[in-house]
Amino acid sequence: MTGKELLLKALKEKGVKFVFGYTGGAIMPVFDEMDKLGTFRFIMSRHEQGAAFMAQGITRASLSTDEPQIGVCMATSGPGAMNLVTGIADAYMDSVPIIAVTGQVATGVIATDAFQESDVVGVMLPISKQTYMPLRADEVEKNVHEAFYVARTGRGGPVVLDVPKDVQNQLVAENYYFDAMNFRPILPGFFYHPTPAREPLQRAIDLINRSERPVLFCGHGVINSNAGKLLQEFAEKVNIPVAFTLHGISALPADHPLSLGMMGMHGTVEANRAIMEADLLIAFGMRFDDRVTGKLNEYARNADVIHVEIDPSEIDKNVATSVAINADVYRTLHVLLGDPMLTYKPRRRWRERISGFRQVIAEELRQEIASGVGDAGKLLMKTVVHQLSELTQGRDLIVADVGQHQMMAARFYNYQTTNSWFASGGAGTMGCSLPMAIGVKLARPAERVWSISGDGGFQMNAQELGTIMEQQLNVKIIILNNGYLGMVRQWQSLFFDGRYAGTPMLSPDFGLLSQAYGIPYRKVERLEDVAPALQQAIDHQGAMMLEFVCDPSELILPMIPAGGGFEDMIIRRPQPAGSASDSEGGES
Amino acid sequence: MKRRAILAFMLDRPGVLNKVSMLIRKKMYNVDTLTVCSSRKPGVSRMTITLREDDQARVNQVIRQLEKFTEVISVKELDTDHSYWREVAIVKLEVDGMHLESFRDRYNFEILNQQANEICILQVAGSTRNIDAFLDEVGQEHIIEIARTGVTALEK
Ligand SMILES: Cc1ncc(C[n+]2csc(CCOP(=O)(O)OP(=O)(O)O)c2C)c(N)n1
Ligand SMILES: [Mg+2]
Repeated sequence: MTGKELLLKALKEKGVKFVFGYTGGAIMPVFDEMDKLGTFRFIMSRHEQGAAFMAQGITRASLSTDEPQIGVCMATSGPGAMNLVTGIADAYMDSVPIIAVTGQVATGVIATDAFQESDVVGVMLPISKQTYMPLRADEVEKNVHEAFYVARTGRGGPVVLDVPKDVQNQLVAENYYFDAMNFRPILPGFFYHPTPAREPLQRAIDLINRSERPVLFCGHGVINSNAGKLLQEFAEKVNIPVAFTLHGISALPADHPLSLGMMGMHGTVEANRAIMEADLLIAFGMRFDDRVTGKLNEYARNADVIHVEIDPSEIDKNVATSVAINADVYRTLHVLLGDPMLTYKPRRRWRERISGFRQVIAEELRQEIASGVGDAGKLLMKTVVHQLSELTQGRDLIVADVGQHQMMAARFYNYQTTNSWFASGGAGTMGCSLPMAIGVKLARPAERVWSISGDGGFQMNAQELGTIMEQQLNVKIIILNNGYLGMVRQWQSLFFDGRYAGTPMLSPDFGLLSQAYGIPYRKVERLEDVAPALQQAIDHQGAMMLEFVCDPSELILPMIPAGGGFEDMIIRRPQPAGSASDSEGGES
Repeated sequence: MKRRAILAFMLDRPGVLNKVSMLIRKKMYNVDTLTVCSSRKPGVSRMTITLREDDQARVNQVIRQLEKFTEVISVKELDTDHSYWREVAIVKLEVDGMHLESFRDRYNFEILNQQANEICILQVAGSTRNIDAFLDEVGQEHIIEIARTGVTALEK
C-alpha cells in the first residue's frame, strides 16, 4: 500500500465521514485516491479557512451526539496550508479537536524554497497541539492514529499532519504491518487525570456547604465533556446559581431558574454583580480568560475559588485557587453528585440579593425589545434575536460570527437544546459563522441551523455561499446589517469620542449576491416583517438568506470596559453631556 | 531577578527544542542558558533551562506549559540548595603561566594548550559565579575569547 492509501484508511478507521478541503499540486495524490475510494463525502470549501471552520463545526456539533466525530480539513502545501492558519489558531484557542492534513513538497526538495513550499510545521507549532511530518510511508498510519489520540485526549485541540508528496505515493515494504486496533502511542509524559482526587474534593464540598453566597461557573469544559445535565442536577441539588462563559452557553436551558446568564465583559448584570459579591466561585471547565475576569486584581476579591479543569496549566494561571481539581468535568460532577455530604442550603438572603440584581435593567430591556427599533427607526438586533428565539422556541442551533450581533445572539436567544450554541470565543475570528454552520448542519442534519453574522464578518467568508449552493445545504443565513463594524464602533462611541475610524462599511447588494448563488433572500426593514420573514425562512426547504437592516447606534450592554473591573460595568447607554443623569440610587 | 533552573526530560523528536524555545519566548523570557544532552534512556533528552524570574507563580506556569507538550516526560524546578549547577568555559587568553599558577588552589582549571609563549587555552569548570570570579581575577584584559556551555544541573 501507499502513503495516501494508508492515510485514508486511518481516517476511515477513526470514524471520519466528511473531508473539507481544497486541492493543489502537493495534495493531489490524496485527493485522487479519495475520489477512487469514494468512502468520504468530500466538501470543497471556497477558501481553506472555510474548510478549517467546517471541520470545527463537525467536531463541535457532533460531540453531544451518539457519534462524535473529529472534523478533518485538507489543503495543499504553501498557500493552501497558510490559508488554514486562522481556522487552526481559532481551534487551538477554543480547544476544538480537528485534524488538518496538508500536502508538502517532496522530501528531496524540502528546505530548498521549492515551489509552494512553506515551513508548515514551523508555522503550526505554536497554534496546534501537535504536528507530524511523516518522512516515510510506513510512518503515515501511526502518525494519523497518534494525531487523533492527541487531538482529543485531555483538553482538545487541532493537530496538523504535513505529508510530503513523495511519501503520499511511496509504497510501504512487503512486510509492513500496523495493528490499528491495539495501537497505543508511546508518549510517556502525555497523560491527564480524568478522575478527581479525594482530598481536594472533600475540601471543595466543605467550602460549598459552608458558603453563603456561592456562584457556579459553567465553561466550555461542561459542553466538551457532555456534562450539562449533571451540572444542572448539581446546581439544583446544592441550590447555587450558575453563570456561563461564552462557551458554556447551552449546557443547560438558558431560562433555568438558577441561570444567571453570561458572565464577563458583556455579561448580565445579575451574573457580574453576583460574582462581585460572591464568597465562593465553583468553576467547571473554564480558564478565567480576561474577557471573563476583567481587571484581575479586583476580581472576586472576597471569594474562595474551586477550579475544576482538565488542563493543569490553566489552574492558578490567572486566578489563584483555594481548591484545585485537575480532572474531567463530567467525572468530577458524577463523583460530587454521589457524595452524601453535599447539602442543600436555602440561602434566602443570597437569593433575594440576586433577584434584586435581576431586576436592575430587566424592565428596560423588556421595553427595548418590545419597541424593536432604535433612534433612526431601524431594527434592534436584540429584537431580531428575541423573535427568532420565540419562533423557534429556543430549540434551534445558532452559529454566530464575531461582533455585537454575536453578543446579542449569546444573550437573547433562549437556548433549550444542549450544545446548540457555536461561536469563536478565544480568538474571536470574524468570518467563522458561515463555514462553521456548514459543519454544524452536516453533523446534525435533523436540526435547524442558523448562521448569524454581521455585515462585516459575513463578507470575510461570504465565498462559502458557493459551498452551500453546491452541497444544497439547508442553512438559514441571517445578516444583521448595521452598516458598521459595530463592535468596534461601540468602543469608538464609548471610548474614542465617537470618531468612527475604519468602521463604516459599504456592503454589496446582499440580494443580488444571494441570487448569484441561487439562494432565496429577503430584506427586512420594518418591525412587523421580522417574524414573518423568519417564518418564511423556516418554511422554506433549503438555504435562505435574511438581511435585517439594523440600528448602528444600538449598544450591547452591560459592558465592562477592557482592563476595567466589575465595578466599572456600564449598564446603561451614557447620556450625552448636559442631559439628566439616569443613575438611580440603590443598585450600584 | 532570581535565577531559576528548570530541568526537563523529553522524547528526542524533531521540533521539541523549537517548541521549548518558542514557549519561553511566548512567555516573554530571555533564556539565560539552555543545555541539551541525551539521557541514560535511549531516545530521551535531558534539558536544563535557566532564566530569571522572581514570581514563583510565573515559573510554575512555564513548567506546567512545558509539561503539556506531548513529547515532554517530566519537568521540575531545581533550586540551588538541593542541586548542583555547573558549567564549563573554554578560555583563550594572553597571559604568562606564572600568573595563572597563582589561581591553582582556588579554581578548577586545566590548561589545554600553551603553544605560543603567551597564548594559552584553558578549560575551567564550576558554578557560574565561580567562573565569573575566575575570569575577573585573571583579568578581563588578558582574555581573547571565551566559550561557555551554559548551565547543566543535577539534583543532590
Ligand atoms: C478577523 C478579524 N478581524 C478583526 C476583528 C476585530 N473585530 C471584532 S468585532 C468587529 C466588528 C464586526 O463587525 P460586524 O461583522 O459587522 O458585526 P457587528 O459588530 O456590527 O454586529 C471587528 C472588526 C476580528 N474579531 N476578527
Ligand atoms: Mg456590522
